Amino acid sequence: MSVCLDTLTSCFQGLIPATLYTSAADGTPNAAYLSHVEYVDSTHVALSFQFFNKSRRNVAENPHALVRVVDPDTQQGWELRLRFVRSETAGPLFDRMALRIEAIASYCGMKGVFKLLAADVYEVVVVRKVPEQPGQPALVARRPPDAVFTMRALQELSARINRADGLGPLLDAILRGLDEIFGFSHSMILLPGEHPGTLVTIATHGYPGNGAGAEARFGEGITGVVAEAMKPIRISGLMRGMLYTYAARFRAEEKGWCPAERRIPLPGLANPESQLGVPLVVRGELVGVLCIESETPYRFHEDDRATVELLGAYLAIAIQNAMLREEDAVDEASTGPAPAAPAAMPAASREVMFYRGDECVMVDGEYLIRGLPAKVLWKVLKAHAAEGRTEFTNRELRLDKSLQLPEYKDNLETRLLLLRRRLEEKCPDIRLVPSGRGRFTLELRGGVALIERA
Amino acid sequence: MIDDALAAFLQQGLAINIGTRNAALEPHAAYVPAATVEPGGTHLTVFVPVVAADEVVADLRDNGQAALVFARPEDDRACQVKGVFESVRLAGDDERQAVQIQYAGFMRQLDTIGTPGESTRQWVIWPCLAVRLRVTALYSQTPGPDAGAPLS
Repeated sequence: MSVCLDTLTSCFQGLIPATLYTSAADGTPNAAYLSHVEYVDSTHVALSFQFFNKSRRNVAENPHALVRVVDPDTQQGWELRLRFVRSETAGPLFDRMALRIEAIASYCGMKGVFKLLAADVYEVVVVRKVPEQPGQPALVARRPPDAVFTMRALQELSARINRADGLGPLLDAILRGLDEIFGFSHSMILLPGEHPGTLVTIATHGYPGNGAGAEARFGEGITGVVAEAMKPIRISGLMRGMLYTYAARFRAEEKGWCPAERRIPLPGLANPESQLGVPLVVRGELVGVLCIESETPYRFHEDDRATVELLGAYLAIAIQNAMLREEDAVDEASTGPAPAAPAAMPAASREVMFYRGDECVMVDGEYLIRGLPAKVLWKVLKAHAAEGRTEFTNRELRLDKSLQLPEYKDNLETRLLLLRRRLEEKCPDIRLVPSGRGRFTLELRGGVALIERA
Repeated sequence: MIDDALAAFLQQGLAINIGTRNAALEPHAAYVPAATVEPGGTHLTVFVPVVAADEVVADLRDNGQAALVFARPEDDRACQVKGVFESVRLAGDDERQAVQIQYAGFMRQLDTIGTPGESTRQWVIWPCLAVRLRVTALYSQTPGPDAGAPLS
């Protein structure tokens, strides 16, 4: 093999469909399009097997095959002469290929229908340039991977993380750092939601709104699939699948096939072309999911993927430590709420309605939040209305049986951060301002009318 | 064999590739910028860039077996045409415009799906050999469980 496969990784992103050529034992040739060729190592690739087809029957009879791929950066065509080696139906290679298919299928509501049956591994015998498809210098100038640059960038991000005081500043420092240091301009972090099998967006960067509170279910979209599998996924060329999914979803909702839900849409790009999702895992426990996306078709190269995956483990520990630190801070706070003289409420300018049955808060008729953060906001506003209190502690929330916090891992600090961010976006004249470790102050810039419904 | 509707699909400007095989059953391939279906639909001519033609034409002369795959990038509709070799000649200047029109159609398809077509225009599409094939079978290759099913 004259060209090392390692230099052709751009060709294996599925951005431009590959073609596969085989021949039956009787000499009948076959030509077919392939969605994806997976790089295995410097001498092997794998092809996805989703449906029984002629190509697969042919290689069972005759192991010679030919794959043509195109480099999306330069448009150079490459020809890989292959020899079939084996089929894998389990293991890291199979999982990696299956997850990618699953993530795309989930956008189209096709999860479980379009699925990987096997990863067929081929030895690459010869690699050569396709003469009729000559390349040209990359359309997008890229700095070649540089280990020193990467290490310095990681050092700088690490320094920013160390300076962050609290969970909120930490999450913002991570996402801002990914943009300013690595150039990943659109990113979000989701943490496990209140209900099992759900994620909730806690921090975003690069989108018009802060997106806090947007929910994703395990197995849905790239974040949900990453959370379910606890493995990283990189996808290029998503546009068509995404448009199809949104169109299908809208039509289904119009016909009433999908129940209307009080779910906040994910803040992602309208037309993402590249997505990179990384699980944030500490000792086997999912702390969250980091998702980076771009409108550029092949934005995340091998070095980007490796860097973000490396970062994932470090970020997971940093986030978990910040959560534990804020939880510990409860003990440092005073044991009781700070008394305050009842204050006259200003004239009502906001109508806050709490639906007890749904545990949901609406402000001026618009959905704000549900679950524990909704109950906390209602408690705080009621206390302010009745007693004029403005100072609160996390400890008193934990001790309040009406809030029904779980005894183990209640994630109260995360829920408070989520509540603060939803208020910032939807109702900035009601603020919960941290006033010390384990404490916060209610600030109202106008009157609030409180209405409770069953 | 190829009806009018299918002929219109095949000639609109698609991603087209030809596959052949040698005596050792090793595949060869070439990019095809254009194909034209003859009236009656029993034969078609595919235009293979001269720079890419050596192995494919050698195989065709040796055993005559060919497989062509046509795909429309904007909706992934695809089909495979199997054929046997009839003849080969250097394409004439009067055919050049037809090749360029189909190639431009393929470029527009690439632009539609967000894959930059401009740089692809550096691909070598002329001069071409005109390879005449007799159609022997047609198969759907649109992705999904029916991929590979014969087209009636």
